[in-house]
Amino acid sequence: MNSPTPQFVPSRLSIYEPIHQIGIWGENFKRNGNPNTSTSLIVEVDNKLENESETTSHEMLAPTNNYEQEASKPIDKIQRRLAQNREAARKSRLRKKAYVQQLENSRLKLIQLEQELQRVTQQGLYMGGVLEGSHIGFSGTVNSGIAAFEMEYGRWVDVQHRQICELRTALNAHISDIELRILVKSGMGHYFELFRMKSTVAKADVFYVISGVWKTSAERFFSWIGGFRPSELLKGFLKLLITGETFSFTTQASNLAKGLFNKVLVPQLDPLTEQQILEVCNLKQSCQQAEDALSQGMEKLQETVSSTVAGGPVAEDSYIPQVATAMEKLEALVSFVNQADHLRQETLQQMSRILTTRQAARGLLALGEYFHRLRALSTLWATRPPEPSLP
Amino acid sequence: MQQAIPYKSWPLPCIDATSHRARSTTTLGHNGRGKDVLNIVSENAVIVLARKGCCMSHVVRRLLLTLGVNPAVHEIDEENEAGILNELGTICKGTENNKMVQLPAVFIGGRLFGGLDKVMATHISGDLISVLKDAGALWL
Repeated sequence: MNSPTPQFVPSRLSIYEPIHQIGIWGENFKRNGNPNTSTSLIVEVDNKLENESETTSHEMLAPTNNYEQEASKPIDKIQRRLAQNREAARKSRLRKKAYVQQLENSRLKLIQLEQELQRVTQQGLYMGGVLEGSHIGFSGTVNSGIAAFEMEYGRWVDVQHRQICELRTALNAHISDIELRILVKSGMGHYFELFRMKSTVAKADVFYVISGVWKTSAERFFSWIGGFRPSELLKGFLKLLITGETFSFTTQASNLAKGLFNKVLVPQLDPLTEQQILEVCNLKQSCQQAEDALSQGMEKLQETVSSTVAGGPVAEDSYIPQVATAMEKLEALVSFVNQADHLRQETLQQMSRILTTRQAARGLLALGEYFHRLRALSTLWATRPPEPSLP
Repeated sequence: MQQAIPYKSWPLPCIDATSHRARSTTTLGHNGRGKDVLNIVSENAVIVLARKGCCMSHVVRRLLLTLGVNPAVHEIDEENEAGILNELGTICKGTENNKMVQLPAVFIGGRLFGGLDKVMATHISGDLISVLKDAGALWL
């Protein structure tokens, strides 16, 4: 397997491939220092082929005069050579398959890295704007806090997606309320997990959380103090739950359901009772009030920081005291992020108190599906065809 | 400081049933010691204890305002903060909040109610209005 010889053998596909191509597959694997899992696959294939072909390898690399003397050899030698050729061709195909597999994995990895790079670049631009000229903006602990969060959040999104699919399947399958309750609880707990994660990273760098660079662009568009706006959520919920729409998001269904409020078409629906509708409306109002209070608090903080930074004489060059004082005031941002998440958490919990298990499951599914679609929107946006260049 | 009417001896609601209770003054910058602060607390149906220029106290105030309550706000200077919190901590040990009092702290009906967390949670669950009514901070 180590020294290729330029022998030409017919393969099953009647394409004459030099035997040394097998060496090429092998060399490619050995040369490519890809730290992927794919290398293990290739090593496996390599080993398998090595083991199988131990007996034939030497014969394949026999001196060239074998081929030239072929006509004078007895029939069984010809048969043996044909078998070797078949063997070689088969191995070649297997190697090619493994190589293509490796290419595919590398391609996926490349796409992931590009996305990662884009995200980090955005983050880098945002950080670079804070401290000009220095590419190491923050201390190691801050960077590691952010890096840890990014990894955890990536996992969080994956688990979220899995949970949504589970919910959808469960609602389709009409599982028992007890089992559904478990899914609802874990779904809610998953959101609370995110709030905990955010609280931790907010201590490292609160601007990171508030800026929303960790989210996709469409999600960021709707961001309010580092996350979703609870009252907006409720508006969507209300429409969904009042009409008793099924968990499948179809615009036809929702339009139909709007017009047929009292006529429930699908048996598994359980629309809200009037009492529930009242409670959800109250919740929405309370939510709105709490949000307004927090928003106004944020405005006050902005005013405070702004006036602190702007304070003091401009004529002098020294601004350290003002900036230092402003730094202290910015600490309050951490509280705002925590309070906003606390509000989100309380809203979710109150919703789960008002709704039945089944309704809560549908609500969670709708919520998760909504964010999933926002993320899809972001991806679509990122890959849209480029604008034609101006003349 | 004006002579405030002690909370305990407040009369029944005034004639105009739809009006809110008489606005309590927003006391400012009094370097009150623990005892003084306690007096103030017991004199108001709703009072918010906060650091000076704290934006969270602004949040609490705005929230209570939307419910129709104008809370008194007592600002604590940094140097007095530790002392006052200690005093409040020992006095409020009887209530369910055994941990240290956090600022901003909301007192309803002369008793420590909690921080912004508690106020938000109670508001979302819909119980805040009844709590305020019970304490006489809200009529209607």
